[in-house]
Amino acid sequence: MAASVAVTSQNRAGNSLRCQLCDVTCTGNDAYAAHIRGAKHQKVVLLHTKLGKPIPPQEPEVIGGARKSVSSTPKINFVQSGGLGIPAGNGDTSKEEEEETPEPDIQPVGQDYIEEIKSDDGKVISFNCKLCECRFNDPNAKEMHMKGRRHRLQYKKKVNPDLVVDVKPSLRQRKIQEEKMRRAALREEFWARRHYNMPEDEEGMYWEDRRRYEEEYMEMVRRGNMGPYPRGRPFPGGAPPYFQGGMPRRTESSDDRHVMARHSEIYPKEEELQSIQRIVSHTERALKNVSDQLAEAKPKEGQAAAAGQTTTKSDSTTTSKSDIEKTLEQQKEDGRDNQLFSFQQDRDANRILKGVMRVGHLAKGLLLRGDTNVELVVLCADKPTLTLLKKVVELLPAALKQVASENTYTVTINAAEAGLIVAGEGLTVLVQFTSPVMREQEAASGGLDRDVLSRGKCLQALAALRHTKWFQARALGLHSCVVIIRILRDLCQRVPTWSPLSSWAMELLAEKVISSVPGQVQLSPGDALRRVMEAVASGLLLPGGPGLGDPCEKDSPDAAVALTPQQREDLTCSAQYALRLIAYRQIYKVLGMDPLPAPQKVFRRDRSARKRRRSGGEQEGSEIN
Amino acid sequence: MARGGMRGRGGMNRGIGRPPYKVKMFLPRHPFDLALCESSFPRVKPAPDETAFTQALLKRNADLSPTPAEQTAILNLVTKIQTVLDNLVVAPGNFDACQLDEVRQVGSFKKGTMVTGHNVADIVVILKTLPTREAVEALGNKVKEDLKNLMKNEIVAKGEQLTHSTNERGIEISNSYACVRVMVTTLHHNIRKLDPEIHLDQKIMLSHLAAIRHSRWFEENAHHSSIKVLIRLLRDVRSRFDGFDPLTPWMLDLLAHFAIMHNPSRQALPLNVAFRRVFQLLSAGLFLPGSAGITDPCEGVSLRIHTAMTLEQQDVCCLTAQTLLRVLAHGGYKHILGLEGNSSIAKEMSVWDGVVVSPLDKAYENPPEKKDGDEEDEDMEGGGRREHGNAGDISRFFTSSTLS
Repeated sequence: MAASVAVTSQNRAGNSLRCQLCDVTCTGNDAYAAHIRGAKHQKVVLLHTKLGKPIPPQEPEVIGGARKSVSSTPKINFVQSGGLGIPAGNGDTSKEEEEETPEPDIQPVGQDYIEEIKSDDGKVISFNCKLCECRFNDPNAKEMHMKGRRHRLQYKKKVNPDLVVDVKPSLRQRKIQEEKMRRAALREEFWARRHYNMPEDEEGMYWEDRRRYEEEYMEMVRRGNMGPYPRGRPFPGGAPPYFQGGMPRRTESSDDRHVMARHSEIYPKEEELQSIQRIVSHTERALKNVSDQLAEAKPKEGQAAAAGQTTTKSDSTTTSKSDIEKTLEQQKEDGRDNQLFSFQQDRDANRILKGVMRVGHLAKGLLLRGDTNVELVVLCADKPTLTLLKKVVELLPAALKQVASENTYTVTINAAEAGLIVAGEGLTVLVQFTSPVMREQEAASGGLDRDVLSRGKCLQALAALRHTKWFQARALGLHSCVVIIRILRDLCQRVPTWSPLSSWAMELLAEKVISSVPGQVQLSPGDALRRVMEAVASGLLLPGGPGLGDPCEKDSPDAAVALTPQQREDLTCSAQYALRLIAYRQIYKVLGMDPLPAPQKVFRRDRSARKRRRSGGEQEGSEIN
Repeated sequence: MARGGMRGRGGMNRGIGRPPYKVKMFLPRHPFDLALCESSFPRVKPAPDETAFTQALLKRNADLSPTPAEQTAILNLVTKIQTVLDNLVVAPGNFDACQLDEVRQVGSFKKGTMVTGHNVADIVVILKTLPTREAVEALGNKVKEDLKNLMKNEIVAKGEQLTHSTNERGIEISNSYACVRVMVTTLHHNIRKLDPEIHLDQKIMLSHLAAIRHSRWFEENAHHSSIKVLIRLLRDVRSRFDGFDPLTPWMLDLLAHFAIMHNPSRQALPLNVAFRRVFQLLSAGLFLPGSAGITDPCEGVSLRIHTAMTLEQQDVCCLTAQTLLRVLAHGGYKHILGLEGNSSIAKEMSVWDGVVVSPLDKAYENPPEKKDGDEEDEDMEGGGRREHGNAGDISRFFTSSTLS
């Protein structure tokens, strides 16, 4: 018995073995073993020996080695472990089962459906799978069967529909799968990096922001492109690709084109984003240094104080959690919204400045072209005091120098806003100080303490943190939503009628309106803008309307409560007109831009021709009344 | 919208075999409708007290309902004419100018949505033969004769003298209290054979057939009394605000049905909510281009009812509703219902409790005038009117129900 084996991948899952000597292909190692033992093969061997032709090596070890060298697919693994070296062994194992190289970690299912058939003397002689209606004699084969795909499919079909069964991957599917895995791994790594939160990992923070913009931009580019495949990222380098998930492509309407064109007009330029990014990260790092200095200056306080502070810290997370809608909670766990740039290390739980967070338009990715003011919030362990603020203002310039020696920043105190302002390169960063402790009731009564910063401002800063989290959980993933919010932000800045609508109320409005489409249909940007206008036009904001429940506050108060009846009236009036402008193809007036030229399409003539033909019949609904 | 969909009805001689790949996908969208997404907008402030508003609606409805005298008068007349026509169906005798297939009551009389002061009932007569003008004339004479026979034993009071006339729709029989219109049409398969030279107009014939479908649909789907009340109120509103003029009675029927019944619970909404919702829907652009609007349940092809209006009419209808919605929100319901004031509120600035409600301009026409509180001030000069799409999907089969 001598032959070399080629493992070919042309048929089935690629587990065929070929006897080169006889030029016979066998499915599986058992078939091959049977062949080797068979008379035909022996005859050929004999013949070859007689004729003095070369015969491949005989020792089983050598055969195994030779096989390895020929093999080309990873599927060989199973064959090897199957023990071809001992061909006479288990000839009676079921053939199909062995092809289905099972994942090592698959748990066998449906033990109860496998019947043992016993011989008269009580010995188990074979097994019968009632689900798949097949039999095996060998316990190993039974094990294999229970892990096999076919069995699992039957089990899923007949017993437990929730069972996950891998789709037998075709070559193409497998590629897609691999691609998916690769992406998932990249994503994982990215989040891990973010979550890890090394203070030095400035790049990670940067990419977090870039991603937000890019996601939107990518979508825009893709939609603008007629190509059926998503193109490469428009930015050099590029963070790991996110959410490339397919959205159903629809032909782009004129409204969509106008909205996206306006969007790219108001979207900040690359340089703007970079310079904002720069000043923000410098400020963040400088604040971290200040925090370090403060922590060192006040070394070990009593253990009790530290303990007390840690508990308040955990309290704060729970209270803010309960306020935000429950749906957010799941997402919180994965650290996605955890954009706290923490100063804390394990050892010093008694730091005064615990961390800094981006809030407002910066954190939400709503910056528009020309925006120069961004906001940060510093979380303090205890009530932030004027003394503390002054101290930070004193230390910060040096720290900024240390972080970014080439840039010049000015630091001014802004006690009225409970914070300080870092300015430079025409940009200003408002850093507000707050603490979760300010939420507690005694903080309100204890307002006698002159030194503590304005409670109202501190609470506002806390609310800003919650708004940011809400935004990232609800609005970011919603199709067209962020684009429309930017467009509406632009509208609110441009049009005096819309300016009374606070940014937060506007974000809530847009998210609610866009997410409430019956049937969870994804709206294109044009449709989404129209729907927002429809909502306001239908009197959503008028007195007597339902109001905009604020999910980030207790008992969801109306987020737009500040609007006067006249402002509500004017907003509605304006939206009503805007809606009709959109309906009558004048969306460019709403967006404050020039009309785009109509795209050159072949079938355009066809359409207008039809319209003319029909217009005759249009008026003829005759009246009696 | 089935623009490229099947149009199977008789009489269509185009729209068949249009290459599907050339058709631009046009997916009208249903506009924002608060009633359908209340879960996203839970009420966070107390609902205003609407008892007075509801009372006003009910009072207005009572005022608008026909008086018992009117009801009796019309019922008498309809019964007599129905009897005469039924006889003609069963036993035409020597009347051979035309053959009657069926006689049906339609319109607001049948539906129970009549408004006082407009005491007109409609009856549709379906002929087996073709509706020539002569046949209609002869039918008119026959009915007149038979009615005279029928009433010869009655003492006819002065005001109950019947007058007969014929027009392009059929026959009108009236006395000073009531009027019955006998509208002639023909069997559906005859419609194609109509020749404008000798027969009554094809479109009118079709509209009469549609009227039968409408009243049947109404009977099956819209028998809820709130719907009838709302229809009556809307008809009254329509008659007072000329922006609503292009809305046909059939549109109002469907709109009222939609406003009351089309909600997640499928339970009839209270009258005050539904009345406001009509204005909310219209304001949100239910009847604007690009909106899914309301699909006519009585047409084989899916047809959006508002496409029977011209684009400009759609715009004016929408803006009137938008202005009235704001008036309503500021407490001006009495003016809308016609209990106070006049219809100038739709076109002139008005002040409600310190809030200035300004009317709106058309979006359809060339640059509208400058207007306070609107964002487009500086841009208005820019663009001329642009092409308007998607009003084209009107079917030749569309027949606005034109019944009282």
